[in-house]
Amino acid sequence: MYAKDVKMSLEEVIEETRDFLSEEFEVDRDLILPQNSLKDTLDLDSLDYVDLVVLIEENLNIKISGEDFKGIVTFEDFYGLVQQKLGL
Amino acid sequence: MIVAKEHIESLIPHRPPFVMIDNLLSVSPDRFETDFFVEENNVLVSDGFFQEGGLMENIAQTCAASFGYLDAQQGGDPKIGFIGAITRLEVFRLPEAHSRINTIVTPTHQLGNIFMVTGRNYLDGNLLLECEMKIVTN
Repeated sequence: MYAKDVKMSLEEVIEETRDFLSEEFEVDRDLILPQNSLKDTLDLDSLDYVDLVVLIEENLNIKISGEDFKGIVTFEDFYGLVQQKLGL
Repeated sequence: MIVAKEHIESLIPHRPPFVMIDNLLSVSPDRFETDFFVEENNVLVSDGFFQEGGLMENIAQTCAASFGYLDAQQGGDPKIGFIGAITRLEVFRLPEAHSRINTIVTPTHQLGNIFMVTGRNYLDGNLLLECEMKIVTN
């Protein structure tokens, strides 16, 4: 169930996001916790951020720019951005 | 055609024998197209066929020329770009030497100075290779 098809709750979006991030970046899902660093946990380099943008667009149907990533450190920050973009 | 072979080196940093595009046929922010005649003595021809690396380089140079053209349209100098990554690569067939290939690139995402594009090479309308490429500009 994707956000683009049915309006999901923030909790559902977070679970969905943990699923596709852990699969794509080959990270233990249990490490994707609100307080953890997005960059360090997913081991992101600058090129990986483009993959992240594509994944978010494909899975959550929202567009994220480079500017949006400013100030995003933890997954909690990231979920806040997603929440804002989805209007939840 | 918007930039002919004779002037293509004004848009790209590559020089012979490593120029892998001829004419810039069309450019818009969401679609680039070039063509290229594969000479028999091309450095990326092997056993009479233009190799996968040549097709990918052709896609990268299509990006370089097109970004350079768009920069020039806005009064800027062409940027130097690098291939950051190539993914989702599929090779369907290789063109023989003495073929003229067409290449179409579609920019799909941009994050700062990193562009993700989808590139496809064609010979007589038949798909030769497709891939996603991340291009990093300086």
